[in-house]
Amino acid sequence: MSGTIEVKELVKRFGGLTALDGVGFSAEPGQVLGIIGVNGAGKTTLMNCICGIYRPDSGSIRVAGVDVTGRSPHEIAHQGVGRTFQIPRVFGRMSLVDNLLVPVLDRKLPDRQLLEQAEAVLEQMRLIDLRHNHADELSGGQQKLLEMARMLMPDPKVVMLDEPFAGVHPQLCRFMIEQIESMRDGGKTVLLISHDLTSIYRLSNTVIAMNQGKVIASGGVADIRSNQQVIEAYLGD
Amino acid sequence: MTNPTGNSHALDREHADQIFRRLAWLLGISVTSYFLLVPVLGLNIAFHFYMMLWITMASAFNVSSGFSGYMPFGFVAFYGVGAFTTAILVKKAGLSIVLALPASGLAGVLLSLLFAPTLRLSGIYFAIVSLALAGICRLTISNLPEELTGGSFGLQLGSRAEPLQAFYLMMGVMLIALATILWLSRSRLGKALRAVRDDAEAADMMGINVGWVRLKGWMIAAFFPALCGGVEAWYTNIVDTETAFNTLITAKTVIYAVAGGLGTVTGPVVGAIMMSWLDELIWRRFPLINLLILGVATMLLVLFLPRGIVGSLLRARPQWRRFIP
Amino acid sequence: MSILILNGLVNGLIVGAIYAMLGLSLSLLYGVLRVVNFAHGELVIAGSFAAYVLFSVAGLPPLASAPIAAVCFFLFGWLAYYLLIPRLSRSDDPETMSFLLMYGLSITLAAAMLLAFGADSRSIDYEFNPVSLAIGPVYIATARLYALGVTIVITLMMGWFLFRTLPGKALRAAQMNREATQIVGVNIVRLSALAFAIASGIAGLTGVLIALVFPAFNPFSGAEYSIIGFIVIVLGGLGNPVGALIAGIFYGVAEQMASVFLPQALAQIVGFAILVGTILLRPTGLFGWRAMR
Repeated sequence: MSGTIEVKELVKRFGGLTALDGVGFSAEPGQVLGIIGVNGAGKTTLMNCICGIYRPDSGSIRVAGVDVTGRSPHEIAHQGVGRTFQIPRVFGRMSLVDNLLVPVLDRKLPDRQLLEQAEAVLEQMRLIDLRHNHADELSGGQQKLLEMARMLMPDPKVVMLDEPFAGVHPQLCRFMIEQIESMRDGGKTVLLISHDLTSIYRLSNTVIAMNQGKVIASGGVADIRSNQQVIEAYLGD
Repeated sequence: MTNPTGNSHALDREHADQIFRRLAWLLGISVTSYFLLVPVLGLNIAFHFYMMLWITMASAFNVSSGFSGYMPFGFVAFYGVGAFTTAILVKKAGLSIVLALPASGLAGVLLSLLFAPTLRLSGIYFAIVSLALAGICRLTISNLPEELTGGSFGLQLGSRAEPLQAFYLMMGVMLIALATILWLSRSRLGKALRAVRDDAEAADMMGINVGWVRLKGWMIAAFFPALCGGVEAWYTNIVDTETAFNTLITAKTVIYAVAGGLGTVTGPVVGAIMMSWLDELIWRRFPLINLLILGVATMLLVLFLPRGIVGSLLRARPQWRRFIP
Repeated sequence: MSILILNGLVNGLIVGAIYAMLGLSLSLLYGVLRVVNFAHGELVIAGSFAAYVLFSVAGLPPLASAPIAAVCFFLFGWLAYYLLIPRLSRSDDPETMSFLLMYGLSITLAAAMLLAFGADSRSIDYEFNPVSLAIGPVYIATARLYALGVTIVITLMMGWFLFRTLPGKALRAAQMNREATQIVGVNIVRLSALAFAIASGIAGLTGVLIALVFPAFNPFSGAEYSIIGFIVIVLGGLGNPVGALIAGIFYGVAEQMASVFLPQALAQIVGFAILVGTILLRPTGLFGWRAMR
């Protein structure tokens, strides 16, 4: 049960536009679920519904057996859901260390312990030398790493990564892939949106393909690659 | 298990903390001793009383603006409510200032709770609504029965406050304010406030209860101007809506805070001290164009020194940020 | 009683027209430049003082000062833009900095007028002939009718400008999407200067009209008009000039009708309360944009 995420029949409309039209899937701990699809297919909306920015019109989301549908973002965060964003949303006028402390401010642990943990994570992400800089002084790629570090601080059960590789140079991509692999191997449930098919194929255990708010195919990497619908809608050839 | 880099980071941290604490003590002690010496050296008590008042006002405004990201252009509302609460309690209920003043602080906090729904508004709307709410406060108090608030003539407190007593009381208020704000800047609440300021939605997703955090910051910011209004009322022995809700109070608060630099504890202190001196020197020489100079100074500040003195310094030397309170 | 109400209604329309002018100019500034002009009221009152000076020194009737004020303030706005705004957009918090800059400007203008004219209330003692006209059962001051006439002319001119001329269309485009307008090649700086200049020109003109419509003014009256301007643009939706026009008239009528039934002081509170209520309950105003954090 721990860390399993189950989404059923999720619907989200914005005025006349149906962004999610009955989306359902599940993912287990220690697994990476890749999410692919054209722009506008509903991938980011899906993540936004799961983490609580949007309230779904119908359907359900369960994390580790707990129903989190429509709850507020901070409550969902406390259920163990973490995420990164397509365009990094760091706390620009705070230091890197402070950025990392934000998700764990309510932990009943002494300051020194939290600081040590933050430094350890920054070390892992190779940002340690910049730890006193303000987050808005970082490059785009560094900010993405910072987001990943921040996401990992509260040790979430479910992590959602929205296009982590977008606009990132190959060496950093490889580093991020290593980080994602270690998240997976550490027992986290990983949801990964990306257009970088190489990484998707390499990392994912299961893949779902979305189009126009629906899941048009779901299965292992090989199945998805050969799925006719997916090829037409997205992969091309 | 030894952790060499971890240990060096820990040492580095402790070193920085040490410097910070020393500077904070230095700030506290120099401010305290300076003001303690004022009566001893026979310096102008009235001038220094107001300097302490502006230090407190600018610092409290910094909590709302620099730390939380709200610019309440109706900040004077808390000041005015505090002034009137003290006046009414001292005159009508015969309370001593020692009891009336905390009650005034509480009145300010209650008012901030009343205004709390405006916290979800974005910058411009918040600023404008704040102005309107201050106007409503002023008009409401003017229109309360004359027996209660003195109508257009105002209230005379009738307590014979010795200037020196008021001076020391103001000093007490100022020191409490500075200590609180120093604590806030390093506390977890302070970090939460700044995260909410930078990106409220992201902070929400990181587990911060945004509404609650904003409210706490807001209440702290409202408490001290209310106390200032109360002490000043006791000092001058009179309150009326024109002076207690004067827009110039907000104006000076904002300008002095910006001149020093929002976002640090020392910024507003430096700004208030510097601008008080400037005001004093100019008032003596050019009493008529005092207001004009204030306006022009504001514009020049915004155009050429938008981060204020301390802010610009930290911009040039970002590595000092961890050390400067 | 019904005469009172009718009176209130007609005067409400006239006062509303003035408020619509306030809203129009403020909304132009916010829409194109994203600048909330805290100094708008003071600018307007400067227009009133300009008319006063022209009248007492040169004997010019207010209607003749109106175009002069409009042109002078237009030029002032153009100059002020280039002096003040470009630096702002390069700072890291342009929104906050623009509040503060305009705040400083409002204090500066009020102080300047205070120095020049003293704190006493002034009015322009120009007698129209006849002093008032009968519109049905009510008598309206001729001065007010002329003011209404001018606002109608200005509104039509602005309408023509915004919808039929190229610079006007560019302004509307910039209000809708600033970045996109730049990308298609419009010189956003020159356009912004134009917006600032037009808004100042209308503000100066509005000041002359205020001298015609309201009994008196002093250097501190500006604050009051700034707040009314804010109420109007919030009601009409920030950045929406048509919304501002409608909201101005609505607010004018509401204010005048309130003062028919309520004592003066309460009527003032009603005004503020409408602002607060609108922002909290319907923050986008009648037709506006994002209000929430």
